[in-house]
Amino acid sequence: MRARAHVGPGRREARAWSGERGAAGIRCVAYNNQSNRLAVSRTDGTVEIYNLSANYFQEKFFPGHESRATEALCWTEGQRLFSAGLNGEIVEYDLQALNVKYAMDAFGGPIWSMTASPSGSQLLVGCEDGSVKLFQITPDKIQFERNFDRQKSRILSLSWHPSGTHIAAGSIDYISVFDVKSGSAIHKMIVDRQYMGVSKRKCIVWGVAFLSDGTVISVDSAGKVQFWDSATGTLVKSHPIANADVLSIAVADQEDSFVVGTAEGTVFHFQLVSVTSNSSEKQWVRTKPFQHHTHDVRTVAHSPTALISGGTDTHLVIRPLMEKVEVKNYDAALRKITFPHRCLISCSKKRQLLLFQFAHHLELWRLGSTVATGKNGDILPLSKNADHLLHLKTKGPENIICSCISSCGSWIAYSTASRFFLYRLNYEHDNISLKRVSKMPAFLRSALQILFSEDSKKLFVASNQGSLHVIQLLEGSFKHLHAFQPQSGTVEAMCLLAVSPDGNWLAASGTSAGVHVYNVKQLKLHCTVPAYNFPVTALAIAPNTNNLVIAHSDQQVFEYSIPDKQYTEWSRAVQKQGFHHLWLQRDTPITHIGFHSKRPMHILLHDAYMFCIIDKSLPLPNDKTLLYNPLPPTSESDVVRRRTAHAFKISKIYKPLLFMELLDEGTLVAVERPLDDIIAQLPPPIKKKKFGT
Amino acid sequence: MVQLRPRASRTPASAEAMVDEGQPASEEEAEHGLLLGQPSSGAAAEPLEEDEEGDDEFDEAPEELTFASAQAEAKEEERRVRETVRRDKALLKEKRKRREELFIEQKKRKLLPDTVLEKLTTAAQTDIKKSPGKLREVNLQKKNEECEKGSDSKKVKVQKVQSVSQNRSYLAVRLKDQDLRDSRQQAAQAFIRDSLYGPGTNRTTVNKFLSLANKRLPVKKAAVQFLNNAWGTQKKQNAKRFKRRWMVRKMKTTKK
Repeated sequence: MRARAHVGPGRREARAWSGERGAAGIRCVAYNNQSNRLAVSRTDGTVEIYNLSANYFQEKFFPGHESRATEALCWTEGQRLFSAGLNGEIVEYDLQALNVKYAMDAFGGPIWSMTASPSGSQLLVGCEDGSVKLFQITPDKIQFERNFDRQKSRILSLSWHPSGTHIAAGSIDYISVFDVKSGSAIHKMIVDRQYMGVSKRKCIVWGVAFLSDGTVISVDSAGKVQFWDSATGTLVKSHPIANADVLSIAVADQEDSFVVGTAEGTVFHFQLVSVTSNSSEKQWVRTKPFQHHTHDVRTVAHSPTALISGGTDTHLVIRPLMEKVEVKNYDAALRKITFPHRCLISCSKKRQLLLFQFAHHLELWRLGSTVATGKNGDILPLSKNADHLLHLKTKGPENIICSCISSCGSWIAYSTASRFFLYRLNYEHDNISLKRVSKMPAFLRSALQILFSEDSKKLFVASNQGSLHVIQLLEGSFKHLHAFQPQSGTVEAMCLLAVSPDGNWLAASGTSAGVHVYNVKQLKLHCTVPAYNFPVTALAIAPNTNNLVIAHSDQQVFEYSIPDKQYTEWSRAVQKQGFHHLWLQRDTPITHIGFHSKRPMHILLHDAYMFCIIDKSLPLPNDKTLLYNPLPPTSESDVVRRRTAHAFKISKIYKPLLFMELLDEGTLVAVERPLDDIIAQLPPPIKKKKFGT
Repeated sequence: MVQLRPRASRTPASAEAMVDEGQPASEEEAEHGLLLGQPSSGAAAEPLEEDEEGDDEFDEAPEELTFASAQAEAKEEERRVRETVRRDKALLKEKRKRREELFIEQKKRKLLPDTVLEKLTTAAQTDIKKSPGKLREVNLQKKNEECEKGSDSKKVKVQKVQSVSQNRSYLAVRLKDQDLRDSRQQAAQAFIRDSLYGPGTNRTTVNKFLSLANKRLPVKKAAVQFLNNAWGTQKKQNAKRFKRRWMVRKMKTTKK
């Protein structure tokens, strides 16, 4: 990561400080058709839920756990999400409270695969000891029903026949077909080990899929896609498609296409096409290769209109299929989700400190300073380098959910799923000492969002039960002032908090009822911004005017005046005219909003690839004007400059951006995350031989 | 073949045949005959004894040793051997018994007292909400004990998940089960690591992978990560330390 501070003309630059582990790779993906949501699990145990209809925004996530590395993820009837991993437990997630409901041990050793029955009432797991276990899903839990015939080696992949009568299980060197009623294995189909002419290594069947006409499709580590007939137990067709393992397979609901992912990063699309143009006979043909990944593609999913793939290189790629998309607009473009959709960095303006949140530790850095001056666009040399002040490791296997530093820099708070930590910092002559505030109350743990007030006297915590706690901070201790109970409305997305600089108002989003605004001095609800059908991605309250600025995942920005309890004039004007089409077509959500204390007409926003200063006094652009207009040269006349100037001043100098904030009058800090840094931390990819190297 | 001194009384012709090979005195050969015809080993010992004595004083008659006395001697010998073996076994048994008792004693000392064990078994069966009081007061009494012993492992495992959320202060688990789980999990992780990244897979480093493009450019560029910053870290650290100390020393001398 790099942090740069822009000082009036010229900018100082702090050098990279990588060395921490970046985002974890994607392990499993599960698509839910009814709600159009995608559950993604990563190698560190985090499970994220993306809402594909809300512009592919990550609305919820479950924090990871060191022992909970998932190997399989599936949705069942009634929007219930289950995962299973190498610790041998089946975990159910509570999508309302955003925590783990329970974890049930399957007693078969590490679990490699899991699948739900077509009816959605039963769950099947394949274990390390070769057993296939059937569980019944009851309204509040799951219950073990019976074991199927035990096999010799570990069951790595499972698939139900759409009618629910048969199951295909892929293991090492063979595939078994079971009859569900009796639980016995009917066929055992041996898979050929041949890999590049050598048959020494065992052939691992990474994925199986059962079609309704009785065909079983298998993908294995020898790079083949094979079609088997389950009635006779014989091989029908074999497609050698890669020189490396083929790791995953997903079939569409209509069973006319499926997608496979390989270890080389290629994703292949297979379709059922007729042999000749007017014959009824159809056959499976490999139609399209996609190379959007550099590393292994460990999981794929097939939604009705798109192919979804994820792998070790941490990108989530959603490729809409042109023939399935009805309207050919920007929605049909490729989406690649790389950066987190929430802000993981907080900043202390008074002391110029930045707090970085990682999975298992926090880092506190002080920005460097310079005494040189220069022109616009210069890079100034640092007189004092950036200082790594603190490296705070969390105890225990759980990941950190959220963290915050107060604006005076003397309080740090963070929360994991089971504990809450509050620290007091003391600064004396360049030294820093840390003291933990002990005996935090139990209701504070598993907080979704933490925020300090501007004067650092109060702490606001949004807990996962839906309640909002106000805590007063005293020297070395605290006092619980009030708890705002959950309002009506279901939890739609992660809670976001914003507090006004004068300390009177607190805004909280996350429920389906809209954004609630509370009066902090009187400790009661003031008003509620009307609900909008897209989740909120960023929230901030402006100083002096107390206007609440809300950014949504469809790139709409609203401004709501809290004292007047209505939208501002400017916001109404923007809504009437509409945003520029290029603004609405941006891929990444706005994660942070900032303000200038002396210029109330300016709003500073940023997403991963640009930052923008909205000047409310200038005219709004319509679709015909150029949105990304660079600064016109000074030789141009004033008239031309006034004609081309509009409210949205966008700059793309710094990218990819993780965080941007205005520190004081002339200083802006931006934190970048170069992609090369992420790639440098990844595990080894498959070797590709290129001519001439 | 054992070459025994031949007996003169038996076969004088064969004794002459033996003379060709060796050079013993002709008289001795004449006296003693071949002893090869005698199969029993017990009896063979006697004539040898006879021969030895006969060697030194061949005028005297050999000693009269009756079969019974020899048998008695042999029996005595066997009895003595048996006695020693029995005594050794008895001693060993004693030793083992004492060790067993010692171990039982130690184990008893290490275990929690019966009252605590009872409480644990009842706690495992009843609802968790009912037992927090008991567990906590037991914990207060036994703060110094670090031993873990559980009752029904299945139920305890379910308890583990739920009790963490209720901020339990301690939890009883069976260590044997945990070891088995860990070893299986390790085996599973090793399997997937070997099958994806182990020997036989065609993997390369990230640096080489990203540098392929640089190699094929019309103007060839260096690799993406050309410098190895991890080279010689120890040397660099030593150099830095030495420089600091040298500077301090220099300052001191210049000041003086």
